[in-house]
Amino acid sequence: MGPVATERLINVTTSLCAVCKNAVPARIVAVDNDVWMKKTCDRHGDQDVRLSNNAEWYERTRAMRPKPAPPATIRKEVERGCPFDCGPCKSHEQRIRLPVVTITSSCNLDCPICYVHNKNTGAYHMTAADFQKLLGHLVRDHGGDLDLINFTGGEPTMHPEFLQFIELAREAGVHRVSICTNGIRLAKEEALVQRLSQLGARIALSFDTFEKGADKLMQGAQVLALKMKCLELLGKYDVDTTIIPVMTQGVNDHEIGRIIAMGLAMKNVRHFEIHTITYTGQGGSTFDRRHRVSMFEVLQRIEETTGGLLKTTDFVSSPCAHPLCYQIAYLLMDPDGGAPVPFTRFMSRETLYDCLSDHLYLEPTGKLQRAFQESINRVWSEGGPDGERTLALLKRMLRDVFPPGKAITREQSLRASERAAKAVYVHSHMDEETFDTERAYQCCDSNCYPDGTTVPVCNYNVLYREKEHNFSVIPKAWNERSGGVMSFP
Amino acid sequence: MNGSRCLITGGSRGLGLELGLAFARAGAKVAFTYSKNDDDAADAKAKIAAAGAEPLVYKGSVADAAHAAKTVDDVVARWGGIDVLVNNAGINQVLPLALLEEEDWDLVMAVNAKGPFLFSRAALRHMIKARRGHILMVGAFSSERIIEAPAHFAASKSALRGLTDSLAREVGRYGIGVNLIAPGLLDVGISAMLPQHRIDEYKSQCALGRTATAAEIAAMAVFLVSPRNSFMTGAKLAMDGGL
Repeated sequence: MGPVATERLINVTTSLCAVCKNAVPARIVAVDNDVWMKKTCDRHGDQDVRLSNNAEWYERTRAMRPKPAPPATIRKEVERGCPFDCGPCKSHEQRIRLPVVTITSSCNLDCPICYVHNKNTGAYHMTAADFQKLLGHLVRDHGGDLDLINFTGGEPTMHPEFLQFIELAREAGVHRVSICTNGIRLAKEEALVQRLSQLGARIALSFDTFEKGADKLMQGAQVLALKMKCLELLGKYDVDTTIIPVMTQGVNDHEIGRIIAMGLAMKNVRHFEIHTITYTGQGGSTFDRRHRVSMFEVLQRIEETTGGLLKTTDFVSSPCAHPLCYQIAYLLMDPDGGAPVPFTRFMSRETLYDCLSDHLYLEPTGKLQRAFQESINRVWSEGGPDGERTLALLKRMLRDVFPPGKAITREQSLRASERAAKAVYVHSHMDEETFDTERAYQCCDSNCYPDGTTVPVCNYNVLYREKEHNFSVIPKAWNERSGGVMSFP
Repeated sequence: MNGSRCLITGGSRGLGLELGLAFARAGAKVAFTYSKNDDDAADAKAKIAAAGAEPLVYKGSVADAAHAAKTVDDVVARWGGIDVLVNNAGINQVLPLALLEEEDWDLVMAVNAKGPFLFSRAALRHMIKARRGHILMVGAFSSERIIEAPAHFAASKSALRGLTDSLAREVGRYGIGVNLIAPGLLDVGISAMLPQHRIDEYKSQCALGRTATAAEIAAMAVFLVSPRNSFMTGAKLAMDGGL
């Protein structure tokens, strides 16, 4: 008999029963170098799920404290406790950095990995009047500085008025208007892609694999050719694009480097947002649990499959969210096609983290300008690997952003600065098995409603959406525990 | 400025264009140079003509001595003299010291400092003969205040201060005035592409709480190069809203 693994308590929190979704106390423990969540439901027994393969990384990351930024408006009294009072309630610690607007319940795919509930019969389409109300709340709550809005569904391109919604958001001064899409309609309608380009919209395209088997397993159909066509058109019309792969252990994790390489080679691809597989919703709740992958494992796969272009140490948490929710790396691009340089090779991790503290994405703020100035001086005075090349790339970036002897607009200058870098965001959503209220009350991504109510996206996906007539054919009811009893008894 | 014969370097856009328009409206004859963009030059030519003065237009680099001499000579040949020279053409590069290399320094100094010297020398040959004239240097607030600005740009604009002083003294005896105007952030040129936080920072530190319009600078320039300015030379006017 070998040595018995001992548990070391990391923290205690409130989770959910994976079966009934009642709130249950949970212990997060280190077992050898793994991290597990362990909990017991009175009715459904003991449950445990592995959260990470690296306890040291998990604890070090969790120990970071996001910058306090409470929501501008509290819309719900604390009555039942997190996560059953979303609105947000007074306990919520982060304001919304990524407003998500679910404009339709309709979808033209039925993906086995889908983590939401959709409804095609009698589909819900948000009205323009409701969207304007919602937009008004968001603009007010952001003090007039709403920099980002994200349309999702269902498949948002199936909403008959989604182009009008983009126009309304742009008119409200939103800098980044993004549409999460599977790309099918875009692949088939070139004129639509052209129109999106004219509107300055950004496309967040789901793209999981280059392989037929994985395509079928994850999307429930062979959609690779359509995705490639969509990418071709987005490139043709220079539409700013985010590639969103969902990562699964053993299905497509070996492809992440290839997906990143493809995006790095495309001028219009700005970001990657890599999601860990989430076991909730109409598809995800029944997907094979053997494919669960943790945040740190994704970082490891990225390091392995990009040949060290990106290392696990090139990523930092987002200061706008719980530190285990986002891992972020930025890459300085080489316009001549050379290898990009991760920001952390010329800027300290602490500095990059600090620069991300006011927005979910880097923005050209005074803080970022000073960070670059100090980083340039440091590399120049202290040297370092690839220092001269890095300085040359930074100089090239400045020439593109402020072209000498050429008049460009502030918008063009901003666009040039955005094109000088690409970002890799790894986003770990929670499901009923991994649900951790400590993460929930520090969430900065929220689903938004016309009455101003906002619900953090994981809470929404796991608990709220299935109760809504708009999205469920037979909406579930709040059960006794979640509907009437405090989650912290 | 009725009939005053004016040459503006870098007159196809931004402040240079605004100067041309203001001079034309004030009744002056206008000539301008530009370096590269033919479309901008054609557009500026049409606008200045519409403002009342069909301009003479010259393409070339202000750092090219032959271009400077040829341009001034042509203006004099066509109009019989030159009354006003505005050394407006300039270039800026947003570069911290660490990234500022010799070639960057040479380029900015050539356009911003050597250019005004070449054009001033060429124009003064005729102004001295005529015993009258005005030269106006377009400086920048970065040579007047301790602010964040690229070192070579600030140095080149500071060079114009010395050039203004020296020339004012040297040619004052011929009734020629040499002055410098140092605008703060404008609504045109490089200011228009600065990130919003830089504009906001400027506004927060400036007494008037805003950036200037090019027209406001041009209005002051009209006075400085007009016969109404009969006793101001060697002056450096910071028009920065009160930094």
